[in-house]
Amino acid sequence: MRLRAGVAALALVGPLAACGIVPDDPAAVPTSVVPPVPAATTAAGLSPDGFDAEHRIALRLRSVTCDGIATGSGFAIDEHTLVTARHVVDDATSVQVSTYDGHDVLTTTATIARDADLAVVTTVDALPVGATLAGSDPAVGDPVTVVGYPLGKALDVTTGHVTAGRDDPLRENAAPVLVTDAPVEAGSSGSPVLDDDGHVAGVVYAKGQDDTTYFVPVSTLRSMLDDEDAFVPTPGCS
Amino acid sequence: MISVAPLHRRPPYPEPVLSPDEPPPAGPVADTPPPRGRRVSPVVVVLAALLVAAVVVGVVLVTGLRRSNDEWQAASARWEALATDAGEQAAAAQAERAQLEADLATTTDQLETAKNRITELADEKAEIADSDASSQQVVAYQARVSKAAANVADALTRCVQGQQQLIAYLDDASSYDPDDLARYRDDVSTVCGSATDANDALQRALETG
Repeated sequence: MRLRAGVAALALVGPLAACGIVPDDPAAVPTSVVPPVPAATTAAGLSPDGFDAEHRIALRLRSVTCDGIATGSGFAIDEHTLVTARHVVDDATSVQVSTYDGHDVLTTTATIARDADLAVVTTVDALPVGATLAGSDPAVGDPVTVVGYPLGKALDVTTGHVTAGRDDPLRENAAPVLVTDAPVEAGSSGSPVLDDDGHVAGVVYAKGQDDTTYFVPVSTLRSMLDDEDAFVPTPGCS
Repeated sequence: MISVAPLHRRPPYPEPVLSPDEPPPAGPVADTPPPRGRRVSPVVVVLAALLVAAVVVGVVLVTGLRRSNDEWQAASARWEALATDAGEQAAAAQAERAQLEADLATTTDQLETAKNRITELADEKAEIADSDASSQQVVAYQARVSKAAANVADALTRCVQGQQQLIAYLDDASSYDPDDLARYRDDVSTVCGSATDANDALQRALETG
């Protein structure tokens, strides 16, 4: 009897063991192995026309005086306000502004700083984009970029480093000024000096010897903008 | 040579021969031992069972393997089709990417060219506006000078006319009241002074040009 039971058990277990030898069925084949494609995104802050911010903030000024015309540079700090150098507009009977892409911008008033070679011009038309002022002055050795219209010609970008800080040799500014080796020319006055982050670190007002450039630091600009009495109307030509 | 002789089965015991008149032998039939040929050895049974089991296992195994093989082959075919499709998609995507990169490079070049052109055009426009502003200033200057010169000419004309008239009056001074002559002389002096002022204005206009 025991033998028969063993045989019977073997007869039952045998097929089951045989089933164990047979490999499992393959897993279901997916319909696609292509991973989900992420949706296309647009980079934040992308320029609408391919020009970067440093070009878009730069403005060209034409100062019409009794003696003729002069050109200078400037930059927007908000939609209807721009900053330039005082000597660009102080004798002007009218100030004409154009943007990097050739649009003309109507201006209303021009005011000049009492104690710095700075001026503020307000506009009727909206300016392309406003610059961001840096939180602090650049240190000696920091890289800077100057964007402006040297000689009243095409928009130009030059780079250099802050080389020194000193009193103004022209005595146009009561506060100390900074010096950079980024080259400029006549007509670059009022150009923004940008730091590594693209923020305005100063305003060009003079060209020295050996391709040195003098600029008013952003701390002076900030203090002037915060003081309502710092700016007075332009006297115009007499 | 090997001789082969027929084998004869020898019965295990002699067969009894009964006559019709002879009664059958008495005694219990049960005591007769069963024939030895019907007894199955347990080993045979086990072997037979094992054989059956092996056959069953074999059949089951073969059936299962065939079915599994079919499944795996079908799955393999589907994977192959899927791989082919994915490969074609990858190739198409790579080709599209290469084309897009080429298009992007071209577009970037075109954008750079367009930006440079915009900058050039803006500069040309600004310089034309500079020239226009300068021209307007020249025109305004010329207009100022012309107007000042016209004022000088007008004032001089009136001055000369007044002086001529005054000379005529003085030639016949007895016919006029001396007070009227003095008043007229003062008027002529005023007119001629205006001519001098107009001339000064003209000189200033010329200097500011």
